[in-house]
Amino acid sequence: MTTGAEAPACGLYHEAAVYDGDEQFLAVVVPFLQGGLDAGEPTVVSLDDKRTDLVRSTIPGNANLSFVSGQYDRPANVLRSVDNLLAGFLSQGARQIRILGEVPHPGVGVPWDWWARYEATVNHAFAGFPLWALCPYDCRITSAAVLGDVAQTHPYLATPDGRHVINERYTDPAVFLAQPRSAHEDPLETSPPAIHLVDPTASAARRAVLGAASITRLTEAEVADLVIAVSETVTNAQCHGDPPTKLRVWSAPDRMVVTVTDQGTGPTDPFAGLLPAAKAPAGGLGMWMAHQLCNLVTFDHHADGFTVRLIAGAPHLPA
Amino acid sequence: MRISGVIETARGLGAHDHMCWVYENPDDFRVRVREFLAEGLAQGQRVCYIAPGDFQAMADDLCGLDGFAGALQRGAAQLIPLGSTYPVGTVIKPDVQVSAYAAATQQALAAGFTGLRVAAEVTSLVRTASQLDAFTRYEQLVDRYMTSRPFSAMCAYDRGQLGEAATAQLACLHPSTNSVTPGFRLHASMSAAASLAGELDLGNVALFGLALQRADLRPTGGELVIDAAEVTFMDHRNLIMLAEYGRRNRVTVVLRICWRGAARLVQLLNLDGVRVEPLA
Repeated sequence: MTTGAEAPACGLYHEAAVYDGDEQFLAVVVPFLQGGLDAGEPTVVSLDDKRTDLVRSTIPGNANLSFVSGQYDRPANVLRSVDNLLAGFLSQGARQIRILGEVPHPGVGVPWDWWARYEATVNHAFAGFPLWALCPYDCRITSAAVLGDVAQTHPYLATPDGRHVINERYTDPAVFLAQPRSAHEDPLETSPPAIHLVDPTASAARRAVLGAASITRLTEAEVADLVIAVSETVTNAQCHGDPPTKLRVWSAPDRMVVTVTDQGTGPTDPFAGLLPAAKAPAGGLGMWMAHQLCNLVTFDHHADGFTVRLIAGAPHLPA
Repeated sequence: MRISGVIETARGLGAHDHMCWVYENPDDFRVRVREFLAEGLAQGQRVCYIAPGDFQAMADDLCGLDGFAGALQRGAAQLIPLGSTYPVGTVIKPDVQVSAYAAATQQALAAGFTGLRVAAEVTSLVRTASQLDAFTRYEQLVDRYMTSRPFSAMCAYDRGQLGEAATAQLACLHPSTNSVTPGFRLHASMSAAASLAGELDLGNVALFGLALQRADLRPTGGELVIDAAEVTFMDHRNLIMLAEYGRRNRVTVVLRICWRGAARLVQLLNLDGVRVEPLA
């Protein structure tokens, strides 16, 4: 057991807190934030508007306290921006940094799959940083499945009674990420796809996506992003997967769903997509870019192979 | 305005056009030569046919071309057997070759023609690696000359003899070609250091690298401006290659492009050496 003041001065301290209301929320986060400010540590808060207001009304303003809104858009983007943020603080002489961030999940209308992978990846990506990251989850709106993943992806737990304990259920990120995950299927996928191609070239896949985009309200930039992501995913499937590669495309006014399936077992890099592969920029950037360019990317291992799902526009929760 | 794109015939080309015709069937090749030269004569250009074989065989290739016999007699048309100019195994000198065509263009203009148009079957000049390398450099150099002078050309290559890879290396350096294999075209521009068109991805990134390496692109004021208005897709591999080219040559690459994804990728990859200027 450790306390905030005793949190390690180097290395990552990745901690989850499960709360059931404002009182428990404040009981966990106020000491965390105040401890950072008292120690002169850069302290960053990234919460929704309601909870940001709650924190602002409780913690006095401080030069070391900063609020970031809308940070949790896409996991790969968050990992990249936090990396930049940490590098910036360290270059300014910070010895310890605190981040309080509430990760989205289906309880707030956001698909969970890639955020579960994000929570696991944080342990690897920031292992060398003097970072204390606290991730609060509201148990009133968080499913048991999500809380199960939270328990496996945080090596430490903060409790509303002020304790900081080692989490016995924490699972090595590579092991967690290798576990089969339940597929996120968009409701559109219950109907036949508008396009179904077998072994398309990357060029044919791009043309198929462009064609299917015409019935959507997606912007030109959103479609260009999806086209890049699909092109890279098809290229990956053909270079690293087993044939045949199947491309399926569904369109609706508010979104496009594309699945790319091959008969292989998927990427061997457990952090594929969320972090650039070690060989980048010579290679290994394709999946990482897809994660930066789409509003949802899921990996689905199944009996028939491996499926990457790419969604542009507004992802819907499974039916 | 030069014709740029994948073409299906040799018709409709103007005084500055540079076209690559990759063929498998010699009859198809001869049809295209006749199309190309007939329009040259109609546009008042001096036309020149260069091909292997003797004078009579070449004349037979053009049999049926309206007014060709008269054009030969009055010097509006010329037949030049390839073997009479280039011994077997010749590795051309790009700048010497361009100078020769520049002189021939001047002569055509001095003789009262509107310009010079050449249809050349030059398969035998690109059979070896060193021949191919020299000829691709020549293609880029002569293409630049064509943008400002009334010299147009059809360069024909036999795919059966050269293979897909070699003909792709040649076709991608022409503003217009019937070959879809390269997927992109890098050629001279009237308003920029080069024009780039088509789709660039993993399938042709090596070819693009080769084309860039052979191109003698000329920056202005520390910037290498590429007119990429006709690029419809360019992946990160090709953008990184372009950034590397700029870094090696100590220039900023300016990509003028309509395709929205370019700016996105350059931003994602922090490619400092590439500046995207979006076109409407």
